[in-house]
Parts: sequence; C-alpha cells; structure tokens
Amino acid sequence: MDEELKRKIEKIYKDTEVEFPERNRMVVKTKKASTLSILEFLKKEGFRQLKAISCVDWIKEGEFELIYHLAPLNSPLHVMVKIRIERKNAETETILKIFENAKVYEREIYELFGIEFKGNPDLSPLFLENWHDLPPFRKDFDTRKYVKKTFDEIPSVEDRNERT
Amino acid sequence: MDRKNILKWLKEPGKMGHKYSLWAVYFCTGCGIIEIPPTITSQWDAERFGVIPVATPRQANLFMITGYVSVKTLKAIIRTYEQMPEPKYTVAFGSCPINGGMYWDSYNTIKHIDKYIPIDGWIAGCMPRPEAIFIGVTKLWMMIDKGAATGYIRYRKNYKFYRRNQEKLFGKLPWPPLYPVDEKENKNG
Repeated sequence: MDEELKRKIEKIYKDTEVEFPERNRMVVKTKKASTLSILEFLKKEGFRQLKAISCVDWIKEGEFELIYHLAPLNSPLHVMVKIRIERKNAETETILKIFENAKVYEREIYELFGIEFKGNPDLSPLFLENWHDLPPFRKDFDTRKYVKKTFDEIPSVEDRNERT
Repeated sequence: MDRKNILKWLKEPGKMGHKYSLWAVYFCTGCGIIEIPPTITSQWDAERFGVIPVATPRQANLFMITGYVSVKTLKAIIRTYEQMPEPKYTVAFGSCPINGGMYWDSYNTIKHIDKYIPIDGWIAGCMPRPEAIFIGVTKLWMMIDKGAATGYIRYRKNYKFYRRNQEKLFGKLPWPPLYPVDEKENKNG
C-alpha cells in the first residue's frame, strides 16, 4: 500500500519527494504552493487525522520547516508532510479548510515562531503574557538576555525594606 | 497533649487554632504536586499534622507553591492568594520557585517568586520528599508560635511594591488593588 501511495503522489505532484526513513513512517517533501492540494489528496486517501504541526528553524539556510503530521485511523503509517518557507516575512496559507483542528496549532506556531498563517481568523496569544520581543522559539532569540532584561530587573520587595 | 502548654494556649488560643488547622489550597503548579497525593493520603497522612487539602482558597490558610511557576500561572497564584482569608501562610516548595532551578534561563518561568507574593517558608530540593513537607510544617508551627510567619502582614504593608512588581511583568492588571495603593492611605492603614 505504501509503495502504491508513493507512486501515486509522485505521479501527480512532480516536485515532490517521498521517502521511507523507517518502518511505518513516510516523509513527503514538497513545495509551499502545493501544500493544500497534497494535504487534501492525503485526506481523501484516508489520512483523516491531523496529529500536530511542528516547526524547525534552520537559521543557517534562512528557512523555516513546517511539518504536518498525518495519520490514518486504520493503519500504523505516519505521514510527515514537510515544506520549507522563507525566514524573512514568513507566511503561509492556513489549512483550516481541510483540517479544522489546525486552528490552535497554527496559533501556537504563530506565537512561538512568528509564522503568519493567512486566513486563520484567531492568532491571539496562547501561552505568553505581555510579550513584546522576538518570538521565543526562533534561534536568534537570546533567552538569557531576555531573562536579564525582564526578570532580573524587577527589584526584590523584602531587600528594599532592609536597606531603608 | 502536653500539660505544660495549656497555660500558653490559654494566653493565645488563636495561635493554637491557626497552628493545628493548616488547610492547604489544592492548587497545582508544575511537577511538585506529584509529592502531594502520597503526602495527604494514608501512606504519609498529613492530617496527623492538621494539614488537609481544600477545594477553594476561601477555606484555606496554607498555600504551597509546588514547582516551577510560569508567567501565566503566576497570575492565577496572585488571584488565589488574594482570595484567601487572613491569616495565610505561603510555602515555596522545590527549587524552581526559589531561584528558577533548572529553568533559570527560561523565558517564561518566574525566577524569584518572593518578588511578587510574600513567602513564609522555603522547602528546598528537587523534589522534596514528604518528610521534608512535614519538617516544613513543624517549622511553620514554630514560626507561628513566635509570630514570625508574617507574610500576609508584609503583603498588606508593602502592597504598593508587590503590585508594582506584578504590573512590571503583566502590564496593567485586570483586577482592582486588594489594598489601597495611594501613599497617604497606606500610611494610615
């Protein structure tokens, strides 16, 4: 079944590579433009569950890698659809039309990596409070500098009493 | 019961009441809460020491902050702490609330919890065993006896500074101040 699916995908989408790095694992590397159609195709093939969306920051290559994890309900095959997007002005299309549960995943990635999902109606902060800095999961975000700037600057209340 | 203590108790019956009825608010932050179920159930039986968990902060007077505190959780902690009736005692539990612990350079974890709410006692360790909780409770008894567990009094006295620290982190807080923050009123009260 897996080899058949591989042949099907590579026949329809020319600029797509399909690999099997290990048992029950399929990696589909594709271009940003064909994300929506390939996800729709896979959904029709039976991969009806979107498990997660994860993101990797490849800072030296100047790219973000978005990984959509799909799984069918009746077989152990795990499909990862990988796309690369530019680090500058990072944005991509939302997949809300195909998988409705992507709403929260996209919101999280927007908050932690700063990738904008065009068409997602709610990209409000999920975990962070009062955040005015770079998105914290980017590789060029200096967490120690942020800690010094934010938490260490706040004075201790009890010490103030001892001094005065 | 020790007969020698009866006179002492008659002098200050309130202290005895506070001492032996430490009701802990069942508020879980971080991984430290994993030590609480064995502590309150029959294995270690915290009720020997008068410590029982209660559901709402309105009935509690002991607040154990168990484990790392994220920025969002701190907001809930402040709200819970302000709802508890006085006298109230707070114990920071584990090394993360003390100085950040292993999250010392994390962007979303509070490093020193005592900058935002007053802390009466600290239990160090990662994780502290249930025995450490009981040692902490007995130390808290001694502090209550001597009148040294004054966290809630310090909070009332320095509320302006605690509130200022909280606002530095969160921006404007969505709830009104618990005590008057105006300087003139602060001196009178």
